[in-house]
Amino acid sequence: MIDIQETLRTNWPFHYYHQTLQEENVKRIILSAMIMIWTLGLVVTGSTLPAFTAERPSKLVMTAIPDDSAENMREFFGLIAQHIENKVGIPTEYVHVANYAASVTALATGQADLAWFGAVTTAQAYIVMGDELEVIAARDIDKEFIGYFIANADAGIPPVNDLKELTELAQDKNWTFTFGSKSSTSSHMMPRSFFTDQSGQNPEEVFRTVAYSGSHDVVLQKVANGEFHIGALGQPPYDRASDELKLKAPIIYTTPKFTNYNFSTRKGLGSELIGQIHAALLSLHESPEGQKALGYLKSKQFVDADMSEWMGYVDLIKSGVDIGG
Amino acid sequence: MKPRQLDRYGSKRPWKHWAGMVIILVLVAGAFTSAEWDFSSLLDSQQRSQAFTRMLAWIKTFSSPDFSPEFLKHSWALTLQTLSAAILGISLAVVLASLLAMGSARNVMVGEEKARGWMRHFPLRSPAALMCSLCRLTQDILRAVPDFVWAVILVAVIGLGPLTGALALALNITGILAKVYSELWDSVEESSYEQVRILGGGRLATLFYGIAPLAARSVQSFTLMRAECAIRNAAVIGAVGGGGLGADIWYQIQFGAWSKVTTLLLFTLALTLTADLASNFIRRQLRSDPNHPRTVRAKSTFGQLSRAYVGVGFTLLVVCWSVWFMGWGDNAPPGQQSRNYLEPAIKLITSESWQNLKFFERMLNPELDLEAVGLGDREKVRALQAEGKTVDLFAEYRFREFWKPSAWVAWELELRKWFVWRVVKSSSIPLAMAIVGTLMGVLAAMALTYPHSYAFMVESSHFSGESPPWWVRVQRMAQLVVAKGTGLISRGIPDVMWAFLFIAFFGPGLLAGTIAIAIHSMGVLVRVFSESVDNIPYRRFEQSFIGSRLNCFAYTAGAMSWRDWMTYSFFQFESNVRTAVVFGIVGVGGLGFFFTFNFEWFRFERAGTYLLMIIALTIIIDRISRMMNLSRVSC
Repeated sequence: MIDIQETLRTNWPFHYYHQTLQEENVKRIILSAMIMIWTLGLVVTGSTLPAFTAERPSKLVMTAIPDDSAENMREFFGLIAQHIENKVGIPTEYVHVANYAASVTALATGQADLAWFGAVTTAQAYIVMGDELEVIAARDIDKEFIGYFIANADAGIPPVNDLKELTELAQDKNWTFTFGSKSSTSSHMMPRSFFTDQSGQNPEEVFRTVAYSGSHDVVLQKVANGEFHIGALGQPPYDRASDELKLKAPIIYTTPKFTNYNFSTRKGLGSELIGQIHAALLSLHESPEGQKALGYLKSKQFVDADMSEWMGYVDLIKSGVDIGG
Repeated sequence: MKPRQLDRYGSKRPWKHWAGMVIILVLVAGAFTSAEWDFSSLLDSQQRSQAFTRMLAWIKTFSSPDFSPEFLKHSWALTLQTLSAAILGISLAVVLASLLAMGSARNVMVGEEKARGWMRHFPLRSPAALMCSLCRLTQDILRAVPDFVWAVILVAVIGLGPLTGALALALNITGILAKVYSELWDSVEESSYEQVRILGGGRLATLFYGIAPLAARSVQSFTLMRAECAIRNAAVIGAVGGGGLGADIWYQIQFGAWSKVTTLLLFTLALTLTADLASNFIRRQLRSDPNHPRTVRAKSTFGQLSRAYVGVGFTLLVVCWSVWFMGWGDNAPPGQQSRNYLEPAIKLITSESWQNLKFFERMLNPELDLEAVGLGDREKVRALQAEGKTVDLFAEYRFREFWKPSAWVAWELELRKWFVWRVVKSSSIPLAMAIVGTLMGVLAAMALTYPHSYAFMVESSHFSGESPPWWVRVQRMAQLVVAKGTGLISRGIPDVMWAFLFIAFFGPGLLAGTIAIAIHSMGVLVRVFSESVDNIPYRRFEQSFIGSRLNCFAYTAGAMSWRDWMTYSFFQFESNVRTAVVFGIVGVGGLGFFFTFNFEWFRFERAGTYLLMIIALTIIIDRISRMMNLSRVSC
């Protein structure tokens, strides 16, 4: 192997080698100086640029947890955005996300201004945002929300009085079970919590597989077509489904009442603007597009809400939900 | 003969093949024992019939896809969105990856050095070497973190929209491309670019005039191959607000809306095919193959020179289109106004939005659960000990009882109390899926290579001396077409979508994921396998032809391209491990599942531990492949 440095040193004229070395050094110094100035410039311009959230934002971004099909949600939440725009006078846009965590992250980092959360996501947002989070409105049905356990009609699973009975029925049956999304309240957290409270066992210990289908309507679909024996979901998605589907997947258990969805915002918007959005939401049933959206949401109107009603969930999540792993 | 010469023959004994086979057998055995395989969907007659009804229902819809104008328009809009975001992501990735690869290629960053042998793998030998391994670490992290996680992290910086998805895609592909670029550059022989250094060129000059031109061909073809993959896999765009084909197919599959699934799959296939043709076009313009009979034909000077410009111009045109479409085109998701999605990019240069990254700070502080192994805070350790929740490894069996199988079981049970051990164990599911899936895919690809090869199906008379009648030629042509079609469909449909389909058929589990990986790997591999067979000059076959084409394929073509096949297979295995982790996210379980669960519940400390495991897996496999020097890609 030829050592090139060695070859250069012995065979080439000394002064020439020396010169190139010097040139090289100068180049290097200039280059590193340029890089330093450049980074410094970036940092300085970055820190002195004006803040983007002015007193009154030029537009509002609204998002929601994806618990239904994207088309439905774009249509009906688009209507709510339209209503808010008309009342508040700031262009409002609904941005659909396919991920629960993305919606919480967006509100917590100020990339969204208004978010439609479930109870679990509200609690998660509270844990990461603290008092910056403000709950402004909820549906009338959200204060007394219920969830359903449904079973495939052909599986021959009778309605049960409590979930202890269900675990006894499930012994040695190799039944499969599906929740909705992991971060969902009425299709995962509360059914799971009721299940463990009443039976003293985790669903994973009782059923052969416990899966997460993604959203409420998918749970109904998968139980109805026999992919899973039993599933859990919230009330409005079940109520709005077709009778044919309901026949194929009858309810076997109705959970006790709990608090659920709400519209949350961040205090950074300023109390005046929050007040206007609050008023707009409470008057949703007065406009035609609002009526349409409320029909989809299975509700008569929006009512006042406060974070304190969701604090129970914060404690529940902080105490830890056992998901294995 | 001197004994030393005899030793040379001794060392040439093909023990490495046997070692390789034993290792593969051990890995497969490990894959089947360490993870829980649920075959009930195949063995239980009722479940089997259900799975087959669903499959049948899906196949039936192929005759009646949903071609209503409304849905076609919807699918077309989704296709354009996917395409523009994917192209934007890739072009950014190519730029970033070339910069990063300069840092992580040993012969660019470190250059000439005295270190030989194992010292070359030791990062602390010089400051430049340390820099080099840091760059490699960066690219491993970029690649290992699933793209949807990058997307959620970027939401904090630039908000919601397709640009976020494109940037997330860019970060992920940067990791992949930088790894490949640096490996390809490193695999160029030092002696081939020595002249540049002797003439006084620095390390950058060596790269630009020596290393890069020598590796350009492989770099270019790998970039284009990656681009096709990215266009197919751009499902991430939907995760953070932008639509896209992948997200929609996932949704429709869950509903059993098979006719819509078929339409969307057809659009995906068409997109893949177009990407395939376009990349082949660019490849043809930028590369001349002196062995190909077509290039012998004389061309005008203009014809020769213009090709490179046509290739580059076409690429630029495509990139410009994607930028224009995202900014000013008709890019509305269904039911919404189109707007400029490039605007949020300005947030990238304000420090305020970068501060939002603090939101994820807790991920850097992974939970190691040291209390469970008796380290860390004394009081907590005592509290846990009182509950019997600490690991007391030698409580039941002493260390010297290691020969008892029951001792290992007891030790394992004891270790399970430690969170980190559970994390490590959860990686057995993606590994098992990747090992079995890749093996099945490689075997299937080898079998399919024969009918897939142009040389053996159409031009075999060039070396076999036979002159088959027309009906034999038609039959062989038919074989070729069927094989090519099979390959195209199995690689044209992304692996995640295969997984969606098989989860819908068999229910979530290892089985569905493994089949998906096997089918997709087969499609990808059969193409490169048969390319390497078709690149062998026919006179090599002529010498060894003994009357049977199949024999010639097995003993000559197979043996000659074996090394290439193994290189590609190992690459495929590496990417399959990452795919298997992602499958955990869509419901197969294991490492990916627990990671997303903790991530989506904002338990960043625990998610951090799982992420460390994912990164560790990537790094281990990468370093093994670098040490085995497999990267001699000749595509």
